[in-house]
Amino acid sequence: MINHIVFIFIFLLGFYAILVKKSLIKMVIGLNIMEGAIFYWFIAITDRGGIIPIVQSTQVAFNLNDPIPQALILTGIVIGASTSAFLLTLIIELNKFTDSTNPDQLGGIIED
Amino acid sequence: MNNILIYLVIVPLATAFLIPFVDIFSNKARKILVGFSALLEFSIGIYIIISNYGEITEHTFFLKYYLGNWIPPIGITLSMDMLSLFFSTLISVSLLFIITYSIGFIGHHEGKYYVLLFLIWAAMHGIILTGDIFNLDVFLELMLITSAPLVAFKRNRNGTEAAIKYMFFGAIGGLFIFIGVILVYFNLGTLNFADIAQSFSLLPLFSKKMIIIFFLIGIFIKLGIFPFHFWLSKAHSACPSSISALLSGVIVKVYIYVFIRLFFNVFGFDILRETGLDIIIIVIALTSSILGHVLALSENDIKRMLAYSTVANLGIIVAVLTLNTKLAILAGLLHVMAHLLMKVSLFTATGYLLQFTPSHKLQDLKGVAYKNIILFAGFTLTAAGMIGLPPMIGFASKWHILQAFLDRSFHWGSIIVILGTIIAFFYYIKYIIYGFKTISIGPPERFRLILSVFYRERVVTNIAILFAIAVVVVGVFFKLSYGPIEGAANAVMNPSIYIESILGG
Repeated sequence: MINHIVFIFIFLLGFYAILVKKSLIKMVIGLNIMEGAIFYWFIAITDRGGIIPIVQSTQVAFNLNDPIPQALILTGIVIGASTSAFLLTLIIELNKFTDSTNPDQLGGIIED
Repeated sequence: MNNILIYLVIVPLATAFLIPFVDIFSNKARKILVGFSALLEFSIGIYIIISNYGEITEHTFFLKYYLGNWIPPIGITLSMDMLSLFFSTLISVSLLFIITYSIGFIGHHEGKYYVLLFLIWAAMHGIILTGDIFNLDVFLELMLITSAPLVAFKRNRNGTEAAIKYMFFGAIGGLFIFIGVILVYFNLGTLNFADIAQSFSLLPLFSKKMIIIFFLIGIFIKLGIFPFHFWLSKAHSACPSSISALLSGVIVKVYIYVFIRLFFNVFGFDILRETGLDIIIIVIALTSSILGHVLALSENDIKRMLAYSTVANLGIIVAVLTLNTKLAILAGLLHVMAHLLMKVSLFTATGYLLQFTPSHKLQDLKGVAYKNIILFAGFTLTAAGMIGLPPMIGFASKWHILQAFLDRSFHWGSIIVILGTIIAFFYYIKYIIYGFKTISIGPPERFRLILSVFYRERVVTNIAILFAIAVVVVGVFFKLSYGPIEGAANAVMNPSIYIESILGG
């Protein structure tokens, strides 16, 4: 249960950063916090406290930790890294035109 | 087992990574490679249709391929049923023509452009073929990350802002889908579509609700349905017209495919009905539709108008699919095809016309029809199809949508479709009238080319006209497309066929 609560808290923290912060870079950080919350949560809830795979043939293979979540999270980290790398590139590009990283220049939420 | 399916993903992927190396040596070799690969990918699709023609006509068509020979619940399965075939054919045809159009249209950084275009093609085929929910998520992210640079392709302020917005909302939508995937794995311990479909109904109601809601939010953010519609118009209008056509015509249809596959085949429609979510989806989608029409009417910029029209049409498609009768799904899939053809046609024609105008504004389009009267006639015909006038394909699909709404006696839906048609009439007729307005010959720089590139006019014009012809021809002979669409609707309505075909040997 504590895992779920911590997950929701961190996730909302990242979401708060995206909604409130007046800097695009901080918003990217918020996105990363949200991703981090998900990764932490997935690893935590699927943990069984067992042996870490890969198991040698001599070991007794019971109470194994599930390796799939780790594979999924690894892929998720790669996706998150490329997303934020590209977003930061775009922010640098935008900075050339406007000299600021204020998200308000992207136009209001409704009209643009 | 049929390993032809993997080539649908591998060919564009390999091309994308080959282009930079070829590009070092010569431009001409790159052009040949691009054309060859596009044709190869297209002909793989044709080969699949021809070699399984008998099964397709009997609606029993099913191909599958186990990656690395892992048997379904464990490994990733690629599969193609009638629904995937329908979408795959649409994508291959439209992308072949969009690439041909780009050869005449994009004059700078062509190497990078084609790399991204082929990566998008690979991602789209991956989404459509995959039978694994995490694999689906990865391909969705791949499509997002490869399409965002194309949104910013003009490298001006507007494009960059649009791309940042597109990336943010796409990434947040992706996160919601990722949470959904995690919940599925946590509750069921499997990622395979068929395996999920088998045991999903056994879950407690709360888990089912959470999974459904996370996937719905993710897909709706990516689709631009009502509460999240605001990013779409900017992203779809700031890029070069060929990319607008791709985003607005093709990529959103892939998200529609994801919606259909997940909510009809994998999770099953009963969950939506049990929780009363289907009515909510219909209401939201219809709101999105009417809002899209109104925003398009108030818009003064031709590309943004077309983008808002996409919002409106997506709303209609999602609403009609969610009615979940056979007629409704047939109508929805017909409108997917119709909207794809018409939107690509409109954007390709607009891309040509806009080279003569100083800006995208309505006032600047004055007299643009006389620059190329045949192409503008095509534009007018397609716009008429978008409004829903016979004999264009738009009429056929709107007729079916109306019937589907009346069939379920969902009168609000039909009223909104008719109201939307009336509003659409006004905003399209505005541009057509302005296009035909004669102008006293102004200063010569009025029709100067605003881009530094001269389009290769013949290619661009021919493709735009070809799409307009397709809109009319498919509209007249739309009964011919009934067979495959009916097969696709069958596949949507009977998830058990999909499950058995994947799991049973």
